[in-house]
Amino acid sequence: MMSRRHTAWLGGGLGLALAMVACSAADTPALPSAQGVAQPAPNSPLITLRVMFDTGSIDDPAGREGLNALTALMIGQGGTADLSYQELTATLYPWAASISTQADKEVTTVIGEVHVDHLKPFYDIFRELIVAPRFDEADFARNRDFLSNGIVAGLRGNDDEELGKQALNAWLYEGHPYAATELGTEEGLAAITLDDVAAHHGARYTRDNVMVGVGGGYPDGFLARVEADLVAALPAGDGAARALPEPRHLQGHELLFVEKDAIATAISIGFPLEITRSDDDFYPLMVANSYLGEHRTFNGRLMNQMRGLRGLNYGDYSYIEQFIQDGGSTFPVPNIPRRQQFFSIWIRPVPHHNAAFALRQAIRELALLVDEGLLEEDFEATREYLVNYANLYVQTTSRRLGYAMDSRFYGTDFFVDEIRSRLMELTVEDVNAAVRRHLQADHLAIAIVTSDAEGFRDVLLSDEPPSITYNTEVSDDILGEDEAIKGYELSINTERIRIVPVEEMFKRVS
Amino acid sequence: MRRGPNQWCLLALAWLVLSGVTASSQERIFPFPTTEFELDNGLRVVGVDYDSPGIVAYYTVVRTGSRNEVEPGFSGYAHFFEHMMFRGTEKYPTDAYTDAVKRLGADSNAFTTDDWTAYHTVASADALETIIDLESDRFLNLDYSIDDYRTEAGAILGEYNLNFSNPVALLRESVRDLAYTTHPYKHTTIGLLEDIQAMPEHYDYSVEFYDRYYRPENCFIVVVGDFDPTELERLAEQYYGAWEPGDFEPTISVEPPQTEERTAEITWPNPTLPWMTIAYHAPAFSDETIDMPAMDVLSQLLFSQTSPLFQQLYLSDQVVDVLSGGAVDHRDPPLFEVLIRITKPDQIDYVRDTVLAEIERMKTEPVDPQLLADTKSAMRYSFASGLNSPGPIAETLGHYLQLTGDPETVNRVYELYDQVTADDIQATAARYFAETNRTVVVLTQEAE
Repeated sequence: MMSRRHTAWLGGGLGLALAMVACSAADTPALPSAQGVAQPAPNSPLITLRVMFDTGSIDDPAGREGLNALTALMIGQGGTADLSYQELTATLYPWAASISTQADKEVTTVIGEVHVDHLKPFYDIFRELIVAPRFDEADFARNRDFLSNGIVAGLRGNDDEELGKQALNAWLYEGHPYAATELGTEEGLAAITLDDVAAHHGARYTRDNVMVGVGGGYPDGFLARVEADLVAALPAGDGAARALPEPRHLQGHELLFVEKDAIATAISIGFPLEITRSDDDFYPLMVANSYLGEHRTFNGRLMNQMRGLRGLNYGDYSYIEQFIQDGGSTFPVPNIPRRQQFFSIWIRPVPHHNAAFALRQAIRELALLVDEGLLEEDFEATREYLVNYANLYVQTTSRRLGYAMDSRFYGTDFFVDEIRSRLMELTVEDVNAAVRRHLQADHLAIAIVTSDAEGFRDVLLSDEPPSITYNTEVSDDILGEDEAIKGYELSINTERIRIVPVEEMFKRVS
Repeated sequence: MRRGPNQWCLLALAWLVLSGVTASSQERIFPFPTTEFELDNGLRVVGVDYDSPGIVAYYTVVRTGSRNEVEPGFSGYAHFFEHMMFRGTEKYPTDAYTDAVKRLGADSNAFTTDDWTAYHTVASADALETIIDLESDRFLNLDYSIDDYRTEAGAILGEYNLNFSNPVALLRESVRDLAYTTHPYKHTTIGLLEDIQAMPEHYDYSVEFYDRYYRPENCFIVVVGDFDPTELERLAEQYYGAWEPGDFEPTISVEPPQTEERTAEITWPNPTLPWMTIAYHAPAFSDETIDMPAMDVLSQLLFSQTSPLFQQLYLSDQVVDVLSGGAVDHRDPPLFEVLIRITKPDQIDYVRDTVLAEIERMKTEPVDPQLLADTKSAMRYSFASGLNSPGPIAETLGHYLQLTGDPETVNRVYELYDQVTADDIQATAARYFAETNRTVVVLTQEAE
């Protein structure tokens, strides 16, 4: 934004997605007023609208994986009854206004951003896109190709880190409604028809499962008007709660190798968690996770031990919920809430010859956290960091609005306020007890993107300690700890080792 | 201490009260009250009063990027040095620095481009003095060991590896190498793999790099948000006053005019759709002449969602799903790069020919006046919408400061955009979009 304009159009603006609001089964055509979320900023000339629906990839029928994402894209990259997509973009262009969609596992959010100068005509288009999208055949073909290419070319060949994360998702959630990527699958997308999209829209974009949010310098009564408009125009939903089974229990260290011509080895590790932001234990775990692997900082042990002291790679982090970085910031994108979450460790690409060591080191660090917990001084420093850092989550009205809506989803107070109040009540004993209740290093799903999968597998299965090569001499302390890392025993489940050529990934739900 | 200009504070304050960020073509695009001062050692400090209670953004702008990597074999050092700046001082060794930043709950990081390097922190306003203490200390007193240096080289290689799992990184590297012959823009900011692999052996060069460029006359401090300008001035003098100025001036080769089209075909070993870049040498940044603003308007006319190319290639023919084009502001002439992903591999020639034909049309047909007005409107509203928190505002101002050293540049350049005419667009297209000035690189999937 600050540099000279480089006009870019990256087909789609494909978000991810999300969903699940506690839906009312009532037939009364009234949007529960409690679902409207306002974040006024009267002095701001900018206005954000976020309309979140309880629809996600978990609603994709078997064999039609990608239906929710494609439906969202038909809103974000399609027209209205009155305006073709071409006409719509021409209308928005001089305002530099945007309309995008973000589709995740459980919810899907339509996001509008506009300057107050153009709010009225913008809102008319925004509303029509939601309640009466055009569903044009040409738009459908283009958007379906875009999603399919996101799998066939994007995930498989253009981004090993995202490939590793999605491979972990597929492996960890095998047999669960979360298993498919938010984009769908190659075969699922190919099977979808335009009629499927229209039917999905009719069934899932209802007045009973919508949450409306507005933020910025909007006029008085605007939120009520948006809510009333959507109530009047959207159909009633069926009110049925969507079942979400428990994920399967992992058995030991389960290994999925994705084989491709990779310049380095990307690794993601994880397991299902029983808690979300709705639970008391989320907050002590937040402290423990920050200590282990705060995203893109040197605060975490993973980052300091693996990159800082050993120079293994560019970064190593951990998470206790789905995390997507918001643009160039270090903060998580809002509006991807889920009823079930997972713990994960992200090891950014490591030179192949050090990858086995890096894997073992990361798991050992997790085990150390579980076994030894945090010291009082680590707890105090990490808590202080989080209490201050949380203020930075919501620097823009749009992000503040998104977090407020997520808080509604989870049934909590405003997330940033929750962090501050909950963390101030914690003790180090609370944190370490929560760690012992919820974290473990013995049963893990491990996804490895590498160029010689069989070779890597054999190294892991052999009795030989993994090698580590440094650019320089390292201290005796580090060498001593390296021996402990090399000797750390993995619990590999030989019945759960799979090697998959990258061309086979995400074809269908396995 | 010398006082600098404070040209537009009062007027800007009036706009802020009335309407916040403005997008009207009649008003300055950067509306926030600004103060500026310069220390005796040449360090300039710019403060921006922005309504963000309790939050402040603190940017240190170093007017050094990969453009300054003039010796063969030493590409990537501006970026490498950005990493080394987190390796500590005598007063704040690495762990102490990290612990201090952690206690603040700050969002602190850095980035490097072709022309500049930025060290940025966003934190609670009451942390300002601690931030200045930490930042000034590493700029004045950085002290790292050869072992730290060699260890960090591993992180650089890791960053290269993650970037190059994407074919666009390879494409960009190829285009730069082909389009430039002598200018340092010939290599990308991350550097060449062979130079990165050799970094562990060049500790002394890294020290020399710091000594050359991390000097007060080569830097700006930009502070945005909730702070007291008088206190900022006092703190800057206290913490940066002892910083010794330098005098190094790099000799940066001037790129000779390109005299014939250059083309290349490269392959990618993993699944991918074909990618293509069409590049032209473009004008350097200027807030005084019309060529650069006209080129930016051209990028909109050619590649926005309302452009004929978008309508034809993306909506009608559905043969591309990425289509972008333009030049990023640079101190020396950059490339105007068109980046395309082609969804039907047998349509590469058709896509290239269609794009080139539309570029040719820009030379001969005047732009529709309404479309030109809409384009200028879109550019202003887009820019204004991005000024929504202290970090982006500081980054925006830092960007223009590293280009010209003048905070007023941001307003001047948007005034120039308003002055671009249909004739300017045709003349600029004719001047820069010549076949002899063109480089085309196509990337396809390696055959089985």
